Amino acid sequence: MGAECRYEVAQAAYVKLALHALKHPAAAVNGILVGRLVEPSSSPAIVSVVDAVPLSHHPHHVPLLPTLELALTLVEDHFASQGDGFAVVGYYHANPRRDDTDLPAVAKRVGDHIFRHFPRSAVLLVDNKKLEEAVMGKYRDPVVQLYTRDSSKSWRQAGSDGSSQLALKEPSTNVVLADHVTTKKWEKVVDFDDHLDDISKDWLNPGLLD
Amino acid sequence: MAAPAGATVVAATPAAEEARLLRLEEQAEHGGGGAWDYLCLARRLRARRPAHVLRIGLALLNNASARSGLASEQWTLYEQVAVAAMDCQRLDVAKDCIGVLSKQFPGSTRVARLEALLFEAKGEWAEAERAYAQILESNPFDQIVHKRKIAIAKAQGDMSLVVDYLNKYLELFMADHDAWRELAETYVSLQMYKQAAFCYEELILAQPTIPLYHIAYAEVLYTMGGLENLQTAKKYYASAIQLTGGKNTRALFGVCLCTSAINQLTKGRNKEEEGSELQSLAAEALLKDYKQRAPSKVPLISGMLKNMKLS
Repeated sequence: MGAECRYEVAQAAYVKLALHALKHPAAAVNGILVGRLVEPSSSPAIVSVVDAVPLSHHPHHVPLLPTLELALTLVEDHFASQGDGFAVVGYYHANPRRDDTDLPAVAKRVGDHIFRHFPRSAVLLVDNKKLEEAVMGKYRDPVVQLYTRDSSKSWRQAGSDGSSQLALKEPSTNVVLADHVTTKKWEKVVDFDDHLDDISKDWLNPGLLD
Repeated sequence: MAAPAGATVVAATPAAEEARLLRLEEQAEHGGGGAWDYLCLARRLRARRPAHVLRIGLALLNNASARSGLASEQWTLYEQVAVAAMDCQRLDVAKDCIGVLSKQFPGSTRVARLEALLFEAKGEWAEAERAYAQILESNPFDQIVHKRKIAIAKAQGDMSLVVDYLNKYLELFMADHDAWRELAETYVSLQMYKQAAFCYEELILAQPTIPLYHIAYAEVLYTMGGLENLQTAKKYYASAIQLTGGKNTRALFGVCLCTSAINQLTKGRNKEEEGSELQSLAAEALLKDYKQRAPSKVPLISGMLKNMKLS
């Protein structure tokens, strides 16, 4: 199923997840991807990722089940109440080590969790080195690697050849990201962890990218 | 810690010291003096501002008269600059500083540690390991060196080796709570929840009034799942609520989540005697808190609590 699906990541989602990773360079960073299936009848089907909700930052790992369940429920409920048909469609993760490009087992487990809600869910792994290059204006392609769940229930990296299953909706997204980095926007990213420490901080990050 | 009554010297708060550090940094960076004060304060606060320390410290070292004015303190400065340089990947500067120190203090363990640290900065893990092993031969209880060994395993991403070294470390330094916590978190990242739970039990025994440990323990138990674990998790969330006077959002949500999960497992059969009041109080406290501090989220939270049949 995964192979027949393409993913289109909107600027808002991409920039938020990248800024979140930049805010906590030495931590495992992760969050929830929000979007919807567009044109389910077309082949390949297209999943549009419109927003990202930063979840947590932690030296080693992804959040434990209570925080994850809580965040998923609240994010799902929030977007359901907006009436645009948006729901949780995936998950993103950035490793704490700069040169680590493997998707850790815990991240796969979160992917499995989301898969039960949305069978075409995507997991995006941030490539820390490419992210650095993109911020310096040296890289144009997405700095995330797409993983999808195949029929044998394992998460597999989507082909890195030209016919990529993953595309940025706006081609100049990395330039916009670099702009936000120069104005230190990453300092203002709020994730669900921050919210639980101080509930006046909003995990929707309203106004962050204005 | 409160100062004794009548004390004339008022200790600066951490925030005030931090502000002073930044002020001195600004001043020293612009040639306004205070360089040595800045560097001393940075050391005392263990502030990690390597780029600034490197620039300001190196300028001081390169100024021969200022350096000799420091007398024996200059060796501390060489050490400080070496560490900052390694943080900034200015390995040439680090090497020079360490070279000066090694000439001044041949055979010193402190310098040997810096030399090993330089191997680490270069990513020469095997050499670093060898250098640390040598230090441990003459000084088996060197805590910093044991910690560095754990850090090397971490830098290489070898989590099972991290577990191994942490366990060895804790045999020697059992009272190091940060290390117990680190071990617990490492186990969590390896999805070894039972072992993680054991570490948190240890921490709760050692420091029973720290709510953080109660919450972390409850989170691990909840993740493990099963009726018994969920019930224990709920108790520890409840104790965290007690320890924080109902101010901890994670603990309040935790009680609600546990209750909902327990009800789903028992399908409402297994009526708990005194539990019902706890979760409705937790739900109430959450709503009150959101109304005050995050009113836009109130419909969302109250909707979720209703779905959980808690309000």
